[in-house]
Amino acid sequence: VGALGLLLLTQAAGAAMSGGFNRLLEAVVRIDVREVEFADGAKRISGGIGSGVIISADGLVLTNAHVASPQAVEIQVTLANLECVSARLVGWDHWTDLALLRIDADEVKRRGLKFAHAEFGDSDALFPGETVYAVGTPYGLTRTVTRGIISNNNRYFEPDRSLNGYETGTFNTWLQTDAAINPGNSGGPLVDESGRVVGINARGYIVSDNLGFAIPASVAQRVIPGLVKAGGIVRSYAGIGFRELQDLERFYSLSANTGVLVGNVDVGSPAAKAGLRAGDVVLTLNGRKVDGRFPEQLPPIQQTIASLPVGSTIRLGVKRGDQVVELSAVTEKLESRVGEEWAFEKWGLTVRKVSRAYARENQLTDETGVVVLGVQPGYPAAEAGLARGDIITKVGNKTITELAQLKALYEAYEARPEPQLVEAQRSRRISLYVIKP
Amino acid sequence: MKLLRRTLLALFLLPLAAAAAAPVADMFNERLKSVVAIEFFIQAETERQPVTVLGTVIDEKGTVILPGAAILPGVAPGQLKDFKVYRPGSTESAPAVYLGQDAFTGWHFVRVDEKSRAGLVPVTHWAAAKTDPAMGEELWGIGLRNKDEDFQAYFMSSRVAVTMKLPQKTVILGSDVAGPGLPAFNAAGELAGIAQTSFGQNFLLFSRNQHGNPIVLVNVEESSVVLLTSEVLPYLGRIPQSVTGRPIAWFGAYGLQPMDPEVAKLLKLENQSGVVVSDIMKSSPADQAGLQERDIVLAIDGQPLPRLKPDRVVVSYFGQEILRHLPGDVVALSVLRGTARVEVKVKLGDEPKLVREADRRYFERLGFTAREFLYNDGIMHRASPGTTDGIMVHFVKPGGAVATAGLRPDDWVREIDGTPIKTYAQAMDLLAAIEADKNRAEFVLLVSHGGETQVLRVKLN
Repeated sequence: VGALGLLLLTQAAGAAMSGGFNRLLEAVVRIDVREVEFADGAKRISGGIGSGVIISADGLVLTNAHVASPQAVEIQVTLANLECVSARLVGWDHWTDLALLRIDADEVKRRGLKFAHAEFGDSDALFPGETVYAVGTPYGLTRTVTRGIISNNNRYFEPDRSLNGYETGTFNTWLQTDAAINPGNSGGPLVDESGRVVGINARGYIVSDNLGFAIPASVAQRVIPGLVKAGGIVRSYAGIGFRELQDLERFYSLSANTGVLVGNVDVGSPAAKAGLRAGDVVLTLNGRKVDGRFPEQLPPIQQTIASLPVGSTIRLGVKRGDQVVELSAVTEKLESRVGEEWAFEKWGLTVRKVSRAYARENQLTDETGVVVLGVQPGYPAAEAGLARGDIITKVGNKTITELAQLKALYEAYEARPEPQLVEAQRSRRISLYVIKP
Repeated sequence: MKLLRRTLLALFLLPLAAAAAAPVADMFNERLKSVVAIEFFIQAETERQPVTVLGTVIDEKGTVILPGAAILPGVAPGQLKDFKVYRPGSTESAPAVYLGQDAFTGWHFVRVDEKSRAGLVPVTHWAAAKTDPAMGEELWGIGLRNKDEDFQAYFMSSRVAVTMKLPQKTVILGSDVAGPGLPAFNAAGELAGIAQTSFGQNFLLFSRNQHGNPIVLVNVEESSVVLLTSEVLPYLGRIPQSVTGRPIAWFGAYGLQPMDPEVAKLLKLENQSGVVVSDIMKSSPADQAGLQERDIVLAIDGQPLPRLKPDRVVVSYFGQEILRHLPGDVVALSVLRGTARVEVKVKLGDEPKLVREADRRYFERLGFTAREFLYNDGIMHRASPGTTDGIMVHFVKPGGAVATAGLRPDDWVREIDGTPIKTYAQAMDLLAAIEADKNRAEFVLLVSHGGETQVLRVKLN
């Protein structure tokens, strides 16, 4: 009787998982990526493991931008049946931390591989306390399912500018869950009890317990068409950092739920050119009232600007002191601070192009030059005295405005090695160096 | 016979040795009268930091010089309190006053109270060595123990390892020879120089968890670096005319960098030295003289810049050559601009106000010290030259009102409660009013930091 009872119980527990959930498990994949790194003065290949979920019958896989990037040289997807198949990057958007891969259709056909694809659920309908599951590859442990609840369905993150790498934008709030999320879970789905994808797991606090964060499915659904069509999302940029007005209404003589505070304005940005200043309060955006009382309300305002076509004119009704003024700014294309990277192997030097955003952040006069990412000890660049963080502005008598110029100079050097006079800046100090064969 | 000869020889030698130098212990005890330990404290906003340094007496007026590193550059003279002078081995102290720092030598000058000068002997009383000490020559000096050991004097000696120009002539000895700031002598008791702040030495640290971690150790009590007499005696008269150390000559270029020897070779300037000019401040003397960014200065007043090791010493050399002058003096520079040689005459100006001279005020309730915005702050923040907009945050009390709001030292406050700050006085009025208003629950600051501007809301009470 005892054995029978146990058997029945097991069956009952198994039956509790819905058919939809089991289908979802068939759609979750492990992703192994080998990518190029330009960190220490050399081009190196490093490997990483992440997770993903197949979202279409023709093999589109949704994952994180930090799992698979354009630096990837090899992407392998492990299907639910443990078969490996290669994939390529279709689209990439580090601002939402999402990427889209496509499984090699020929290989699938040739090998007769089978997989399921997942359905999206309504992430806007999630409520705190709702049961969710995370599926993925934590620490390489393929096909791990963890269970938790939605801890918060509207988590706001401050823009983080301290990271050296690609920015994540503040165009959306995040889902927070206590379902265990560990390194390697990145890119895997957060699903409801019927197996519908409500989020893409992306972050966790390493030294905490059960504080994991996912990108809402609604954000993914908004981004996916652009990734399929154009490989990326074009956004408008005005250069405004918004802050919540909470508790400051009285100071600015405003009634509650009116306007949003301008916390900072990027130097040289469209908003700066339009005359917007930190400390201003934006009351209207293109004639519509703005309400930025709480931090959670800021992402939609950023998204409103970002979703405009590049070159749009935005009209801002601005309260400054006792005055209300109308300012208008023409948006630019949103660009990353991370420029193109390259390795000059014989010099033992890796560099990244100074981008407009990087120049603004670091108060450089313009976008001239390349930033030294690293030098290899004992190689000519290191011997000359160049170091990480230096900005190379001139080689010989050529000002470096494009990475291509440096590549051309390097090719000439390779053909005929001769000492090169290099001008570089380190925290605005100009020094001269010689790179010698 | 053999024994006799040896005795004779010894007898013959003995009087000679006595004529050359007294026993070293006697010389040591005499020369102790030229050294003191000086105690003072630095009064900061919420705490005071006691400091003990060593100094050498230089004249009959009880003037004492201290190494430049004895006091950090940002500390205002007004914060230096309660100077006390201790003789070696004594528990009694005499009061002293701070006279200021000389810009050229970097020395700080302190003067002992008139009533307590008896028994002090200027170091110039002892004959100066006529020649620079040779390699391998033995020098000796004085070290002083800490206060809890009554600044007990002790003897140190070592041999000269190398002579360098840094840019002043300096000898480095095989081991420590004197307390930093105290004199060193040769075997004849002649003044060889004054020990400087010791250099860092590289060590590897081995512990249970770390295997050969490189660290740099600096001995703060003893030094093996001695600035030679020829670099000391001519400048003992540079006692500051005011506690600010003014007048100080101003050149007006920032970020001078040494020209690398490889670069010199490539530019066909073999065996020449130079400094690269990175940044010229608008309307500064260098700017008015027409000096340009990327110019390479090769000579000053007809003297080619010397090749010194390490390379960066040439920058100190150039700086000192400027500071040797007074405001209003003209220096002639030979400059390489692109491929052309250019002569530039710079009429030196007056150094803009330094941090240590800036007006500042601590607001206890708000929890920070505001200081006036200086010319040099304008350079750091790329503001237009001469701007007085805003105030600088000099100190933030940990856990205080503004600290909680996110204000940090070196933030540039542009607006207070929405009012743009045009002058320091205006800012002081606004902050004093907020500080005094016990009903104020909050106020708002507009703050720039590293090119980014932010609104900070400060909650009071």
